[in-house]
Formats: sequence, structure tokens, C-alpha cells
Amino acid sequence: MPPESVTQFYKIDDLVNMARANSLWPLTFGLACCAIEMMGTGAARFDLDRFGFGVFRPSPRQADVMIVSGTISRKMVPCIKKLYDQMPNPKYVIAHGGCAIAGGPFQYPGQYAILEGIDKIIPVDVYVPGCPPRPEALIAGILALRDKIKKGIPPAAQVVKVPTSSKEIPITPTTPS
Amino acid sequence: MTLENTHQWLLKEGEGIKVQERDYAKTGYHLEAAVSEEKILPAAHYFHDQKFFLECLTCVDYTNKPEDPHFIITYQFNRWEAVERVLLKLKVPKQINEAPSIASIIPAANWYEREVFDMYGVRFSGHPKLERLLLPLQSKIHPLLKSYTGTGDSDVRNSLELIESDQEVFDFNVPEEMKTSRKEYYLNLGPQHPSTHGVLRVLLHLDGEKIISGEPIIGYSHRAHEKMAEVHNYLQFWPNTGRLDYVGAMSYNFCYALAVEKAMGIVPSPRVEYIRVITTELNRISSHLLWLGTYLLDLGAFTPFFYAFDEREKTLDLLELCTGERLTYDYFRFGGVLNDVPQEMIDGVKKFIPEFRKRLRDYRTLITENIIFIKRTKGIGVLTLDAARDYGVTGPSLRACGIGYDLRRAEPYSIYQEFDFEIPTEREGDAYARYLVRMAEMEQSLRILEQAIARIPAGEYQSGKIPKAVPACEIYQTVESARGQFGIYLVSDGTQIPYRLKLRTPSFSNLNALGPMAKGHFVSDAVSILGSIDIVVPEIDR
Repeated sequence: MPPESVTQFYKIDDLVNMARANSLWPLTFGLACCAIEMMGTGAARFDLDRFGFGVFRPSPRQADVMIVSGTISRKMVPCIKKLYDQMPNPKYVIAHGGCAIAGGPFQYPGQYAILEGIDKIIPVDVYVPGCPPRPEALIAGILALRDKIKKGIPPAAQVVKVPTSSKEIPITPTTPS
Repeated sequence: MTLENTHQWLLKEGEGIKVQERDYAKTGYHLEAAVSEEKILPAAHYFHDQKFFLECLTCVDYTNKPEDPHFIITYQFNRWEAVERVLLKLKVPKQINEAPSIASIIPAANWYEREVFDMYGVRFSGHPKLERLLLPLQSKIHPLLKSYTGTGDSDVRNSLELIESDQEVFDFNVPEEMKTSRKEYYLNLGPQHPSTHGVLRVLLHLDGEKIISGEPIIGYSHRAHEKMAEVHNYLQFWPNTGRLDYVGAMSYNFCYALAVEKAMGIVPSPRVEYIRVITTELNRISSHLLWLGTYLLDLGAFTPFFYAFDEREKTLDLLELCTGERLTYDYFRFGGVLNDVPQEMIDGVKKFIPEFRKRLRDYRTLITENIIFIKRTKGIGVLTLDAARDYGVTGPSLRACGIGYDLRRAEPYSIYQEFDFEIPTEREGDAYARYLVRMAEMEQSLRILEQAIARIPAGEYQSGKIPKAVPACEIYQTVESARGQFGIYLVSDGTQIPYRLKLRTPSFSNLNALGPMAKGHFVSDAVSILGSIDIVVPEIDR
């Protein structure tokens, strides 16, 4: 990471990042099938608490990570956006499963119901592919996020630009007939 | 007997009703009647008085026919006591585009009619609240029309527009008197709430902490399964069957397989039937276990969640041996299944049955007589028989009211009539009774598994080459899923793509009855009631 100012507190930054990486609190937030696997990851066999990741918070104001697990129905988009905006910085987003990445099996030319990938409206840090991804895959995704924070890579929310207004999207059809 | 009476009544009405008998074994219907607009209300009254319940109401679009563009609205009635399925058809010409609403007679029709309005734009005169059900309120499209292709519609643009208008979530019409009232108010439970099991929103009208009325608002997980059926061919629809109710996906696989096999006249081999029953019953157990864990979690008990998930992982391990998947099974095929069942799995199931029996006893000592659990569930969310009939409730929620209506018995499919098992029922109809029924059902599933594992024959696990096109037909096939009656109404025009595939999902009807169940209870009880009817939201929204 390039230095941003002349004075750098490397060791303190490292310490803060290490603490942050090892106590990520996710938001209790499930959308569809993948949410069941997310629950399974938190339950008896896979035991997400091993990574300091199992403290699921019901309120976005207490959460660091949003796991977007499932199909993003267009009707649900305003709610997701609102939840994301309510989370305090630094915040991270994991796109869990094919639907959250690119629409998954519900993507076809001319579909009317879903948003094809959450990264079109919210910056995403880690992608976990699968339909649904196995709990091991989600754990791998969480570990990847942890490494990212430990290395001091800034969250996607600070570096990735996403469209914020519908006027930015051209009216020309994007879906072939 | 009553079927005879119904036939007589339909004949007697004469003008406006043309009745004909249908071959039940081939189509799933006993009677079919073409009803005129004036006769639909008397007919609804008749079926309501004769203790029929509205199984399904849907619409088929024939507006692409240039000589006579019209919609066919189908009303499907059935009885709990004996299977007597009657299909009424109302023809609505395109230029009229309006049908009489039967929602005032049969409350279950309320949501179905709203769905038809949402998807086809057909209006229902006399409907109490005709607005969109599944799509956002500000939508302008009617996507299930054959003329809708979705061209020119950008998902990102549409989503951002929804964010900008944002009236969908928090804006609703609050009556003037309530703005000044200090006691009455609205409370949104969801769409992001830990105990709504996904993205369901319930609009609670409260007086202090007492619920005056509770109205579920659905569609937050609408994924267009029915439109996908109309743009994909029969084989391509398989993955969707696993994603409707992902917790108990095997029953949905089962129904789709049976429906298309019925249309094509394929008879699967005995081994296939046994494999299907074994996997479905295992999946039923894992579905009930997930319900058990999350329901107790909703009520504030954390331990059962870990117990139930531990057991559930074992059933998933067994299913993974033959399906290769942990969830969203896509295992059945027309006339067969994807893989043969390995010996390892059969041995595993044999070992699992006694172990799980012991664990079920542990659950009972842990939960059934727990005083906190009893106080949170006994007498909470009582569903009366009349309300159950009015809303078309099926599955464990209905059996908790004392009606032993289980399609594995009432309308046997596959080889279920060969097994010795009971249909557990309770009389009280409250949340506690629903808990008891599901616990007893797991026991009965074990009994079926035991018999099936002992008798599974050798043989082929797939039948030969299956044609891609399905002959022209109109059929209804139904199975008992973990949540209730799942049905597929299939209209084929002889091509490789279904003309219309209506999915009659159990939670849709069961959730409909939430209003009467929650009335008069406290807010915290709403969570208990919602958990006890065991809903899966993407199955409601489809």
C-alpha cells in the first residue's frame, strides 16, 4: 500500500488491522438458498466462531461485514442498499453464491425479476462462487477477506465506484431480445 | 357421492356451465366445467358451502391467438375428505380484460387474484385490494403475458430507479385518524428481520402491543420461476425445482418428475420409485430439522439449533452420496434419477435410523415439556378449521387442526401406498400442536425409510431415451412436500417448452392464514406463529 502521508504508524496500523481482521461481525441477513448454507456454516459442524466470525448481528449498525447470500430480487434492492448505507465504516461485502455475483441460474436474456449481481450497486470485497457454495467455500472466502484486511488493503467501499443514480445508466437496451 | 352431487349441480345450472368428466388417472382432474361470467359467483358459493377449498387459481394467456385473443382463468377446487378435484374455467376476452372477484366468498382467492392481476393485468371487479402482489408497486409490466419479452429493460437502471423512488419499503397509506392516535400504529416486521426466515415483510397493525391485524407483504424474493418455465425447455427447468423450496427440494423434484411423466406416459422402474421415496423422506427429515432448529432459535433457545443442525448434517451427508449436492437438489430425471444409490448410502441410512430415533427422544426431553416453550406456543396462533379451509391451508399446519389430509395417503403417488405409516394429527391447531405434528412426522418418515431400505429392488435407475417434446395436455400433479400440498398445473402445446407451468406452493396458502392466526396476540407471538407455520420465502414468491 503506498504511503498516503509523510508520517506512518506502521506497527499501530498493523495491530489495528490484525484486531479488525480477527473479529469481523457479519450482519444477520439472508436472501435465499445460500442463507441456509450460511446458517449451516455457523452451526455445529463448521463452527464459524473459530475465526471470530460467528457473532451475527441483527442490526446493520453493529456489523462490519454484509454477506449477500442469495438472489437479489429487484423489489429487495432498496432494502439492501439501505442496510448497506447503515453499516459503519470500514465495511466489507461478501457476494455469496452465483446469484449475488452475476444472477446465477435466474439470469436469462430478458429477465424482469432480479438484479444480476450485487456489485452493480454495492462494492464487493470477496466473491464466493457456487450454487450454493459449500460451507468450506464460505470459510475460504472469509479467510480471504481476513488476509485482505491484515495486508492493509482498503475495503472496496473506498476504492470501487458504483453507479448511484439511474441517470448514469444509458437507456439503450442492455438485454438482447 | 359428493362428486355425483357436484356433477348434478353443475348440470342443473344449465345455461352458462358446460361440464365434462375428465380422466383422473391421466389428468389429475375429475370434472371440468367451462363457466360463464355470471355463473362464477354462484359456483364459488356452491363450492364454499359444500366444504371445498380453493386449491389454486391461475390464468393462462391465449392473447397471442389472432382470431380470438383471450385469457382463461382457472379455478381449482378440492376436498379434504376425499379427492374430488374440479376445474372451473372462465374465458375472459382480451378487450374486456376483467373478471368477477370471488375473494369476498373465498378469502384464499384474494392473493391468487392479485397475482393474476400482477402477472397478466387481468382486473377483478369487486376485489377488496387489487394491487401488485409480487412485483414492486411502481412496476409497469405484466411479465407472464406471452407478448412480454423483457427487451430494453436494464436491471441496474430499474434497481436504481427503485432505490430513488424508495416508496416501496416505508411508504404506505396511514389513515388520517391513526396519525393522531396515540395507541394504534403500524410496525414493519421485515423484510430484513432475523426471524422472518428470509425476506418476508409483515405489516402489523398494533394497538399497544396487541396485534389488530397482520398482513404479509410478499415478493421480496420473486425470481420468476414461472416465466423461466416458459422460456426454457422441460429439461432446463430442473434446476428451478431445486430452488423453489431449497430446504425440502426433493418433493419438488418429485412433483415435476411425476407431472411430466404423467404427460408423456413414462413409468419408472421399481428401483427408481424406491430411490425417490428414500431420498424424499430423508430430505423431509432434514427439512423438519432445520425448522426445529430455527423455530427454537426464534423463541430464544439456542441449544436446539446446534443439536438439530448436527443431525441435519448427517442427513445431508447421506444425500450427498447419491446427489453430490448439499442443498437445492436437482437429482430426479424424467423416468429415473441422476445417479444410482451406492451401497454406502444404504448402509448409512440403516445406521442413521436407530441413531436418529434416540436423538428424537432427546429432543422431546429437551423441548416438548419445557415450560418456557409451552408458554410461548400453547394456545398461540390457533387456526380454526373454517379458516384453514377458507385459506386453503395444507400440510402439518392443517394436520395440527385434526384433519389427516396428507397426499401420500389421500392421493397416493409413486409407491407410497405400499408402506405402513401413520398420519400424525393433533386437535388444538395452535403452534404447539404444529410442533408435535412435525416431531411425529419425522418418526413416520423413519418408518417409511426403514421399510424402503429393506425392500429396495435391483434394477435400472434410468429409463431409456426420453423425447424432448411433451404431447399437448393439461394436467395437475400434486405431492406432499414438507410444508404441504405442492402442485404443478401444466399446460403443454406439444412443443419442447411448457405453455404454462403454474406452481401451486403450500407456503403461499399457509402464510395467507397468518392474519386470522395472529389476531389478538402480542408482537412477540407473531414471531412464534410465523415460525410455527414453517415458511420458505422463495417458495411463496416463486
